[in-house]
Amino acid sequence: MHDQESLIGKVTGVRWKGPFTFHLSPRATIRTFALLFCLSAVAATPASRIAGEVDARGLVDAVGGYKGRVVLVNFWATWCVPCREEFPSLVRLQRAHGSRLQVVGVSTDFARERPGVEKFLAEQQPNFPNYHKRAGGDDEDFIEAVDPKWGGELPFSVLYGRDGRKVRVLSGQQSYADFDREVRKLLR
Amino acid sequence: MRSLRITLVAMAVLALSLPACAETPAVGSAAPDFQLSTLDGKPFTLSKTVGGHNAVVLMFIATKCPYSNAYNDRMRDMAAAYASKGVLFVGINSNKTEPLAEAREHAKSNRHTFPIMKDPDNKVADLYDAKRTPEVFVVDKTGVVRYHGRIDENHEDPKGVTSPDLKNALDAMIGGKTIERAETKAFGCTIKRV
Repeated sequence: MHDQESLIGKVTGVRWKGPFTFHLSPRATIRTFALLFCLSAVAATPASRIAGEVDARGLVDAVGGYKGRVVLVNFWATWCVPCREEFPSLVRLQRAHGSRLQVVGVSTDFARERPGVEKFLAEQQPNFPNYHKRAGGDDEDFIEAVDPKWGGELPFSVLYGRDGRKVRVLSGQQSYADFDREVRKLLR
Repeated sequence: MRSLRITLVAMAVLALSLPACAETPAVGSAAPDFQLSTLDGKPFTLSKTVGGHNAVVLMFIATKCPYSNAYNDRMRDMAAAYASKGVLFVGINSNKTEPLAEAREHAKSNRHTFPIMKDPDNKVADLYDAKRTPEVFVVDKTGVVRYHGRIDENHEDPKGVTSPDLKNALDAMIGGKTIERAETKAFGCTIKRV
């Protein structure tokens, strides 16, 4: 208790003089309001809808954590119109197949467009995790690590079987029926 | 005689259908020939153009793709810088969603004075199996693909480029050296096909 008081006192300048009695200088008043403002700002910030930042290695680990389910990793970006059009099909797909399927989204947006990614996810309300590709490094290394057949075009999806092995890739925009057909093949 | 005729017809049908299911021409193989009209109505035939240049740079581009647009200035500057070295840059817009008038306006607003062509029904994109914009093929004067891939690795910041792959490839070709990285990849927008 004593340590806590001294810490708050150090930050704000408020001097505790006993129950219901403390000394509040003008500077301490400003500091106290500043502290309260910061705390309220932190409390008011909504939690990020981005599951985290991933590089190719981190993505492999994330997919590996879903062994036993069919996994569909979808690479998208907010500036990519076909990606935006395709996204609701992924939400519907996850809902339709429940725990037998795990959709994982990866935004490849520029680092500066992270607020736009948050906004898009808030609008779409996806029922699956969405990562943001970690900035830096050479995109070619990331693309190659995901799949050598991938040329970098977006959207792009990779399907993994229940044993965690990569089964096939889907280049460009897919319809719900296309996704559903491919997932059902792996669920047989 | 009749069976020979049927065989010839079948071969002709097969030959005509081949471009639609072509694969990306590998580096070192012949660049598929094509003919298109430039935005100002002039005919452009690849096979008639390559012989007069040290290299022809085919760039699949777009008007709305942010990745392609990030390179508008670099395309213009490189086309100008390499013109005196016998390199011709050309743009190919294969997106069905971007009509001729839009491509013309885009070229004008970005001061792209190099030849740009609309690719109706994305036939040339299919011929090269081009997947994204921007995507580049460099063809040498004998009509062979010498480089395929990106312009560089940094779409966000031209000043921060550390791997100017297209420039390196062109410099190596002009200098008679081996191209160290003849195939590269980058993110881009899917070409919107018919």
